[in-house]
Amino acid sequence: MIDFTALSAALELMFSSFGPWIFVIPGLLIGLIFGAIPGLQVSMAMALFLPLTFTMDFIQSIMFLTSIFTGGVYGGGVTAILMNIPGSSSSVATAFDGYPMTCKGGQNQALGLSLGASVIGAFIGYSVLFVLIQPLAAVVLKLGPLEMVLVIAWGLTLIATLSERSVAKGLLAGMIGLILSQVGMSTTGVLRATFGSSYLLDGVQVVPAMIGIFAASELLRIRERQTLSTVEGAPPVAFGPIIRAMFSTFKYPSVLLRGSGIGVLIGAVPGVGSSVANLVAYGEVRRTSSTPEKFGTGIPEGVIAAESANSSSEGGSMTALLALGIPGGAATAVLMAAFSYHNLVGGPSFIRDQGDLVYAIILGNLVQVLLLGLVGLLSLRVLGMVVQVPLRYLVPSVLALCVWGGFGVTGTIAGPLTVAVFACLGWLMRRHHYPVAATVIGLLLGRMAEGEMVRSLQISGGHIFGYLLERPISMLLLALMLFSIGAAFLKARRIHRRANISAT
Amino acid sequence: MSLRLAPSHAVFLAIVLAFTVAMNYSAITAKFALNNLVILVPASVLALILIGTILLSRPIPEDVPEESLRKTLGDLLLLGLFCGFCSLMFVIGFDVATFFFIWIGIVVCGERSLWKPPAFALAFAVVVTTTFGALFPFPIVTLVLQ
Repeated sequence: MIDFTALSAALELMFSSFGPWIFVIPGLLIGLIFGAIPGLQVSMAMALFLPLTFTMDFIQSIMFLTSIFTGGVYGGGVTAILMNIPGSSSSVATAFDGYPMTCKGGQNQALGLSLGASVIGAFIGYSVLFVLIQPLAAVVLKLGPLEMVLVIAWGLTLIATLSERSVAKGLLAGMIGLILSQVGMSTTGVLRATFGSSYLLDGVQVVPAMIGIFAASELLRIRERQTLSTVEGAPPVAFGPIIRAMFSTFKYPSVLLRGSGIGVLIGAVPGVGSSVANLVAYGEVRRTSSTPEKFGTGIPEGVIAAESANSSSEGGSMTALLALGIPGGAATAVLMAAFSYHNLVGGPSFIRDQGDLVYAIILGNLVQVLLLGLVGLLSLRVLGMVVQVPLRYLVPSVLALCVWGGFGVTGTIAGPLTVAVFACLGWLMRRHHYPVAATVIGLLLGRMAEGEMVRSLQISGGHIFGYLLERPISMLLLALMLFSIGAAFLKARRIHRRANISAT
Repeated sequence: MSLRLAPSHAVFLAIVLAFTVAMNYSAITAKFALNNLVILVPASVLALILIGTILLSRPIPEDVPEESLRKTLGDLLLLGLFCGFCSLMFVIGFDVATFFFIWIGIVVCGERSLWKPPAFALAFAVVVTTTFGALFPFPIVTLVLQ
């Protein structure tokens, strides 16, 4: 599985000089900043700094761009924890438990856990890539649209579990997201529900919508508080507690491994990536937990599952790029542009002929992940000060940043208007205890689900169940999904029965 | 069974219902085909059933917002200000819109000082407009800053 000749050449390439590492720490910091500011996307940062890499050699440029990628995936989780604003769609699930921890004065613990889970998750992701790049690529090639439909459906099942108070409200919130995802040009080229606006041709812009529904509505809800933390005299962000929390990540090995495993597998599927991985991992860990009712109230397992999954999916997405030459998302598409600038193309021949470069990229990323631990730790103290800023200043400032972020994604008035509309929707939903996260999940996955479903229907000639029976991976995925849901249901019943017995 | 709902909850459900009907009307008139309706129609049918379930179920105490009228009016004021900021930034310029939004926003959120809000708003608007202006690859409409 490992080509040792190529590996020794890679070690020589990476560690014989300081050259490949010069831009790693600046790259991590750029990624952290772009990831942490709502609306600024990691892919935007990578595209923005791509021209700078034209003067670098290949390994230097890839190390710089992947360090932005690594920093950005983690940075999105910081604002999700501190302000309930996921910096990107890959951090949606991080906010579920990270933000309640902050509200209870546990921001140090949440930040430490997320940093620990990110570092370990990304390390696992790249380690898997290091060992299994060739077999993984063969598996990914066998995945068709039907398998993707099943993966997306697995992500959508999380909707049903997001509202403890009323399942009907949780489901309705999810359906609103799914319906909203159908605005604009369909995958078959049919124009639907644009209401005469050219801005809606491509549908509702997910990132501005997410910023509006999550951030703006939450800021309105909390604006009468003094600071973000509801605990009087909450501890300031400090190295000691963060480092302790970082190492306490190891107390949850099964959550870490499950989150990372799901992240690698889903991240490797082109077009699905970290935004689905964090939701599926969170849902799975919650379903299999003995205390699922505690999820969403601020428990470590929730933060670890989400962060380990989104970080390990980075290794997965590199599988598709390196082994198949397919960019799994916008960030890997920018990496592909850097490849082509150096006259290189990912794919089976790249792995066969340029094995040293492949291993050099993987090794570089493994070291980069460890550096993220250090850079993240040093920057958290600054980023964490946000919990002590008076909310009367923080609320309008972050609201303004949301609007600027919305504009940054679209470049037109559509971004700010989408933020405003979804802020109003989020305010109404939060007021009546509808889980806004379910709407975001529906919106994120609806368009994806439609595209893959249509392709499955076309390939199967309309006989989707017959087609399902012909595909062993689909059958396996379906069986796993049903088993996971069934097991969770049985477990919930058992817990409920035990609670009843102990009550009587 | 009870049909009693908080007015804002009724407004929310009415908006969802109207939007669902409009979406389906638009999609069905555009093309009545399985490929076009594969997600929309099942999601809409389920949404309608769920709206009915919520309307007919007994409201739990948390369904009725416990917030004071003052808090609700304050929220609506800030929300209105926010919507105004989003729609006017292309008209009066991003810099000026940001400055006024931050100033008024801080006052609405409870700051009593007379000089701190405009001073903070000025610094914030300058930093944000110049930083984002340099980062974004699109032109930004400004009135004062270049």
